[in-house]
Amino acid sequence: MTAIPAEPVMNAPLRLDTEFGVFEVGSEESISFPSGVPGFEACRRFVLLSSPELGVFQCLRSIEGPVASFVVVDPRRVLPTYRTVLSGADLVRLGASPDGALLWLAIVTLEDATGQAHVNLRAPIVINPQMMVGYQLMPSNSLYPLRHPLSGE
Amino acid sequence: MLVFTRKRDEAVVIGDGVEVRVLRIGRDSIRLGVTAPTSVPVHRLEVYEQIRAENHLAAATLRSPDRLSQLRKHTIKAAVDPHAPAEPQGSPAPQRSVKPL
Repeated sequence: MTAIPAEPVMNAPLRLDTEFGVFEVGSEESISFPSGVPGFEACRRFVLLSSPELGVFQCLRSIEGPVASFVVVDPRRVLPTYRTVLSGADLVRLGASPDGALLWLAIVTLEDATGQAHVNLRAPIVINPQMMVGYQLMPSNSLYPLRHPLSGE
Repeated sequence: MLVFTRKRDEAVVIGDGVEVRVLRIGRDSIRLGVTAPTSVPVHRLEVYEQIRAENHLAAATLRSPDRLSQLRKHTIKAAVDPHAPAEPQGSPAPQRSVKPL
């Protein structure tokens, strides 16, 4: 099975009550993750939420399977030179053409103990907005760290 | 667990179209070749588990509202550099997100 376009799964808009606002999402906003996300393999559909409370961050939230929400940020906001090359298999999986624009997101983690935040630059999430298909890259030879500090304070 | 004995150049087939072949046998390691459809992701186990553990940590980031304000204390110094090399598939990254009601 290759990447497939998002199919309508909801007739009425889905209402999401979050810490950073109430959202109504239609089926056209649903992003398919055919393999889920590692650790959340049952989450096959997500939506990407933005709000003033989130600032530069966005929230990638599951709308199928267990509730999972990730804070994400454009990796180039964290590291302007950030660049990861996709393999041919990656492009096929995303149903992407080599010149089509893709959405890159890095997952942010806030540590309980220290309050420090870091960004996973090694395994970014890539979304093809034309097909509304995404997945998390897992390169075994990435130059980028799993925990890059989010510059702050 | 199913256990096989395989010699060099021998393989096992898993399901529909996944083949694992022994390419080389060394003293402490063997080299495997995996052929799988593009829809079947193949990873080294330790890489997958590391990312899975990291995702579980990350999913707790929005567990309570105070954590959002804590996160917002982190300002991001680096702005997007307009002269940065384009993403492999073209730039800028498209916006695709839902705004609150």
